[in-house]
Amino acid sequence: MSIILEIALYLFIGAGYWWWAQNLAIFGLVPNLVFSSALCAAILAGPVKGIAWGFFLGLYADILGSSMFGANALTYTIMAYAVYIVKRQFDLDSLFSQLVAALSLSWTCMLFYQGLGIIFSRPASLDLRVFLAEPFLNALAVPVLFQIFYRLKRKFDVL
Amino acid sequence: MSREKDAANYAVVFFAAISVLLLLFPVSKIAHTVRIAASYSLYPSLHYGARYTHYIRNVPDNFVKLLETDQDNRLLKEKVKALEVRLQGASALEAENARLAEEMRLSRALPWTGAWARVINKTPADWYGSVFIDRGADDGIQVNDTVIGMEGGRAGLAGRIFEVYPEFSKVLLLTNSAASAVCSFAPDGLEALVEGKGTWMLKLNYVPEEARLEEGVEVLTSPGGLLFPAGVLVGKVKKIYQRESFMNFITADIVPAVNVNTLKEVFVIRRNLPAELLGARQAEKK
Repeated sequence: MSIILEIALYLFIGAGYWWWAQNLAIFGLVPNLVFSSALCAAILAGPVKGIAWGFFLGLYADILGSSMFGANALTYTIMAYAVYIVKRQFDLDSLFSQLVAALSLSWTCMLFYQGLGIIFSRPASLDLRVFLAEPFLNALAVPVLFQIFYRLKRKFDVL
Repeated sequence: MSREKDAANYAVVFFAAISVLLLLFPVSKIAHTVRIAASYSLYPSLHYGARYTHYIRNVPDNFVKLLETDQDNRLLKEKVKALEVRLQGASALEAENARLAEEMRLSRALPWTGAWARVINKTPADWYGSVFIDRGADDGIQVNDTVIGMEGGRAGLAGRIFEVYPEFSKVLLLTNSAASAVCSFAPDGLEALVEGKGTWMLKLNYVPEEARLEEGVEVLTSPGGLLFPAGVLVGKVKKIYQRESFMNFITADIVPAVNVNTLKEVFVIRRNLPAELLGARQAEKK
């Protein structure tokens, strides 16, 4: 049952991110709900499930993009593993730690993605506006999504 | 804990390996298969997004429209209230218009000359005593001019002008306890005195005991009374009181022809009375 709910949640996240990007973008900026969801899943779920969520959400991000199919999947997979490591040392349930994690991991993931571009493709130009603003939007989105995921986990045992 | 860590390590290696393979062989069959499989995750967004694009895309617009509709709704409700108030005013005006039209029609048939006036004030403490009208000396109104009102399509005696000011006048109503009028009634044309009682009812006094007075008979102003023109309806006999042992005449209650409570417009008849019948100041003016 929970696997069906998780698939539904996965599709809902994708649809939500798609709709937000289509209709609520401000100056072309939207919080990366896919990244934020991957981070929240990594915090809340067990290690394997968290990494799997990171991989599949990364695949979704790759499908949305047009270059380096698998780069986001690899990035979010490693991010989920890093979160698993970090959350054993730090309490990522608190708001402040989520903000810090969202900010730092957003920038890290962007830089990592750029690095993958250098290795597997050609260096892509980094949109400075996105690089500077999106992590803050992600930091705002993560605590909200975390609360939603937390309630879903408690109520329906997803993640 | 170690087992969990091992599972995590295996998982990250597994998924990272797949990712790297996808990156390394982007055009391979396996990458193509994964791409197609992963593309199904876009299906809900694209399929239902396309199908319900009108609703989904326009959510922000619809929300704004909802707010605007709410504001419009509030404005319209206020307008409806204002219009209801105006409608009530309009219905009152319509009724007044119909009443005035009827009075105009009647006034053409009146044998007297005069002017229409509007009742502008009634004093609660002197409800049956007097009223103010919006015509005064500037309009040619004089003291003791006869004031008639319209009731049921007929002119009836309401009172007389008591005080005259430049732009308005005070009418002494016939129902005032100080007011009286010499009247006559059918069938013999006997004269008697109608007096006000300070209530809505009038009193017919000094009726000879041998007079044939019946209830319902109309009482009209008599030519014998100088103040009022003859033939103006004063009221109808309601109840006759038999002669008291110490009196030699009978009395009766009269229902006034004009209801003071509904009096809104009056017709002031210009009498051009002799100077000696006018008040001192009016006589001086003449």
